[in-house]
Amino acid sequence: MNALAVEQLVKVYGRGRRTVRAVDGVSFSVAPGELVGLLGANGAGKTTIIKIICGLLLPTTGTAEVYGAPSAHKSVARHVAAVLEGSRNVYWRLSVEENLRFFAGLVGQSPRAARAHIRELVSLFGLREKRGTVANKLSQGMKQKLAIACALVRNTPVLLLDEPTLGLDVETSYEVRGLILELAEREGRTVLLSSHDMGVVEAVCRRVIIVACGKVVTDDSVDSLLSLFRTRALRVALSGPLEEKAAARLREEFPGVRTSGDHGAPALEVELEVGQTLYQLLDVLRSCGVGVEEVARVEPNLEQVFLRVVRGEA
Amino acid sequence: MKLYLWSGWAIICRHLIELKRYAFNTLSSLATVYLVFLLMFFGAQILAGGEAMFGDSLEGLIVGFLVWTLSIIAYSELSWSLMREAQLGTLEQLYMSPAGFRWVIVCWAGGAFLMSLVFSVPVLFLMMATTGRYLRLDILSLLPLLLLTVSGVFGIGLAVAGLALVFKRIQAAFQILQFVFVAFLFAPSEPVWAKALPLNWGTELIGRVMVHEVRLTDIPGTEIAVLLANAVGWFGAGFLLFSLLERVARRRGLLGHY
Repeated sequence: MNALAVEQLVKVYGRGRRTVRAVDGVSFSVAPGELVGLLGANGAGKTTIIKIICGLLLPTTGTAEVYGAPSAHKSVARHVAAVLEGSRNVYWRLSVEENLRFFAGLVGQSPRAARAHIRELVSLFGLREKRGTVANKLSQGMKQKLAIACALVRNTPVLLLDEPTLGLDVETSYEVRGLILELAEREGRTVLLSSHDMGVVEAVCRRVIIVACGKVVTDDSVDSLLSLFRTRALRVALSGPLEEKAAARLREEFPGVRTSGDHGAPALEVELEVGQTLYQLLDVLRSCGVGVEEVARVEPNLEQVFLRVVRGEA
Repeated sequence: MKLYLWSGWAIICRHLIELKRYAFNTLSSLATVYLVFLLMFFGAQILAGGEAMFGDSLEGLIVGFLVWTLSIIAYSELSWSLMREAQLGTLEQLYMSPAGFRWVIVCWAGGAFLMSLVFSVPVLFLMMATTGRYLRLDILSLLPLLLLTVSGVFGIGLAVAGLALVFKRIQAAFQILQFVFVAFLFAPSEPVWAKALPLNWGTELIGRVMVHEVRLTDIPGTEIAVLLANAVGWFGAGFLLFSLLERVARRRGLLGHY
């Protein structure tokens, strides 16, 4: 049985002329233990999909199921925990430990039964020193970690994370993505992660679903998407400055060539067309008297893949 | 069973922690309520020239003020807190309780009732000390009557919270309702229609226990049944309206936004 199964999901807001089709026929499924990224621009429908799966939003048509249970049913809460919109999920007047105790209690764990798990989470998230601190007095990063810990303390097999690194500095974002990965691998939880941060999705997820204008435009593994967009783009580091005459010759032979870097360490970026080879490029450079320091293939990242997919370039 | 027990315990504990943590806020609210009573009591004395103006109704005033204090605290604790939770984003987390949001609401109301008792008991003692009229405190008779009386207010609180989820800015209506409670309290309790009002009939029975020293077991069963019907009716209607509006909010995606 799939952990998550979404079938022909449609969500329409408003009526008449003011109708907005936030989700338009979305279907996908997630197997138990899978780590899936949900990517999309603002307003693409990611949060709406996540909220329908949690049962917080009712779909116009279509179904969303969690371990076979319809998402609108309260039993779904036994399988799903969610972190929605960053840190907007904790009680700011309660301390770290009180928040964790409250959310454990909400799913029926006695304070004694939850104690060991809470201690473990506090330590894992680096909140031990702050366990008695009121959430309001924590930094943004700490609040975010607490929000994730509060979702984890529920001990559900499925975790939905909506923008878990929103507003975090680079260091904390790295820390949070490491924690998500560790938890998913160690505890075998199913994770659906929605984010603008391509770095997070690329680092954490093996599969990615790209949503644009409420529709799924791509659903594939991260590796497969990256290889699909692997181009014949090269970066050539030059040993000296590029004279105007040589640059003109290059532009003539390789129309897409771009120069980058400062005068001290100039470089070329070129995407070879069909029929062109690296040797031809090196021949042109040698004939112009330009030395080459290094040649490297330009690897696409998920951000570039995402942009090309949503722009319809693939 | 374990699920319902521990989730209820967690919700009530959270209420008590917040009450304790913000002790200054708690004390200042208590002082404000007492100050309102002092203004009413001494204001009326100065205007009418002595305690004589109250006569036997002074005990009635204390009972009425006690029920009003209890009601507005319970009412705001339920409806205001629901709105605040929607603002903070924690309401969505409460919706994801496996015990169901209805159970959460019932426990919440329990927590709000406890909180209102914590507030009202000191105010009652202060009122009695100020006026020199000491009323009978038969806890076993009073607690069920107070709970049934406040249940109607919880119904109204739920309805208001439901309206706030959908229409958002309803603070004015929220505040006006607190004063409408005064009208419910002090309306004559003899007419049949008055028994359908929230607070009114319950206050009458509480008055009998506190002022006329009647035990709960001495009150005729039909009169208790009227209060029970009133409590179930108002709470049920409020709960139903809240459930309907909550569904509208879930359909329109308004649950987490304020």
